Amino acid sequence: MRTTFAIMKKELVSYLTTPWAWVVFTVTSFLSSLFFIGLLVSFKQFHDEVHQSPNGWADVPASLHVFRNLTDGVVVNLWQTMLVLTLFVAPFLSMRLFAEERRNKTFELLMTTPVRPIEIVLGKYLGALGIVICTIGVTIVFPIILSMIGSSQSGDTLEWRTVMMGYGALLLWGATNMAIGMFISSMTESQMVAALVSFAVALAWMLLKMTASGLDEPFRSILNYLSFDQQLSSLLKGVLDVKPLVFFGSVIALFLLLTHRSIEAQRWTQ
Amino acid sequence: MIEVERLTKKYRDRVAIDELNFTIGEGEIVGFLGPNGAGKSTTMKILTGFMPPTSGKAKVAGFDLFEQPIEAKKRIGYLPETPPLYPELTVRGYLKYVCELKGVPRAKVKSEIQRVAEGTGIVSELDRLTGVLSKGYRQRVGIAQAMLGAPPLLILDEPTEGLDPRQRKEVLDLIKSLGGKHTVVLSTHILAEVKAICRKVLIIHRGKIVADESMASLTGGKETGLEDKFIALTSE
Repeated sequence: MRTTFAIMKKELVSYLTTPWAWVVFTVTSFLSSLFFIGLLVSFKQFHDEVHQSPNGWADVPASLHVFRNLTDGVVVNLWQTMLVLTLFVAPFLSMRLFAEERRNKTFELLMTTPVRPIEIVLGKYLGALGIVICTIGVTIVFPIILSMIGSSQSGDTLEWRTVMMGYGALLLWGATNMAIGMFISSMTESQMVAALVSFAVALAWMLLKMTASGLDEPFRSILNYLSFDQQLSSLLKGVLDVKPLVFFGSVIALFLLLTHRSIEAQRWTQ
Repeated sequence: MIEVERLTKKYRDRVAIDELNFTIGEGEIVGFLGPNGAGKSTTMKILTGFMPPTSGKAKVAGFDLFEQPIEAKKRIGYLPETPPLYPELTVRGYLKYVCELKGVPRAKVKSEIQRVAEGTGIVSELDRLTGVLSKGYRQRVGIAQAMLGAPPLLILDEPTEGLDPRQRKEVLDLIKSLGGKHTVVLSTHILAEVKAICRKVLIIHRGKIVADESMASLTGGKETGLEDKFIALTSE
């Protein structure tokens, strides 16, 4: 247990003492604030148009009624774009986890000290989890800003339950990406290769839903079930659902197990 | 301290080490010699539990490396060919991390770091980043790391590599002073170093042990005895 925490702490120190994590933080904050501003502007435009039309919201098709409130019109959309952004930045955080150890030749140190491989995997993953939570965690400022300066004609400005569910979904997705990225990083010495392959895997996962629409049953249902946006959709809408927790929890557990197998296997093949 | 029985390692078709048998007693300083590619590093990687053998057995302090790896590893300090450093950590931070990995009791971490830092002469460097150290200091931090937790067995792969003559002498004196308290297995190309500090020599050639003797009987008391014997044993 102590070694797991020591490894976690060391991972966090390594992330925060090298410029890399800070660059990723900055890029994430910058891009997410662009998205946020963009969403706010279109929200406002939409409201201006509705107010000018004589019948108000009665003329607006039902599918656009999400724009009636800030929660559905801005925050939920922001979380959805953040899912895609996470998919782009997570590989840059996960790529170094094991690849760097092998490049620095410190992998031998880890494997010759009395530490169980499972402790190494858990320690590294907890460190990675910490850093990805910091990275996407900053986006919580956007709903906070909205709740401070926004207003609503009825009820609260933001529906915090929905906001937090979506935020949880986002963190869950980040955690899943890190587990996959860690596994890929454990198989190569090159961080570039690790980042690229992790990115390709996440991107392919994103495209599942698109592929599904062109397929016949039962493949369509299978792919739809596996696609992450489908799995996260109820959480994003603010509905507490256990299914995605089990789904992503299993994916994370699977990749931690694969990482464990992968570092064990390397000792046999080297 | 070390018992090796019919130890074999194959990389696909290539046999790296072939049925090695040897034992090393407690407190001995053993020179582990051999030409490049003879199987030295492979043997060391197996003895430290980094890599499993294809067949055969290896025991450290009575613990089989593959049945009780954690117990065996607790008793080994290892300096690999390249000192395993994290450039972004300070020397102190790095040694603290290794203490935690090795399970040195929390209360002892500070004194343990001080002890190995004094032993290896890196006290003045404790607060520098390991990434900016010169090669000599890196090597010493590597040795300091191996000494943490005072393991009874130290396995050092070319510990004097890249050091200047004075540092070389200091490191050798340090290793010599460890004899008796620790068992030391020292791999090196430099025969003079072995002659200076080792009482026992193991020579490996093409994956087989070709000499396993005390220094005195191997050299026959002659000044150039070790060189002559080494060249004769590893010539074909």
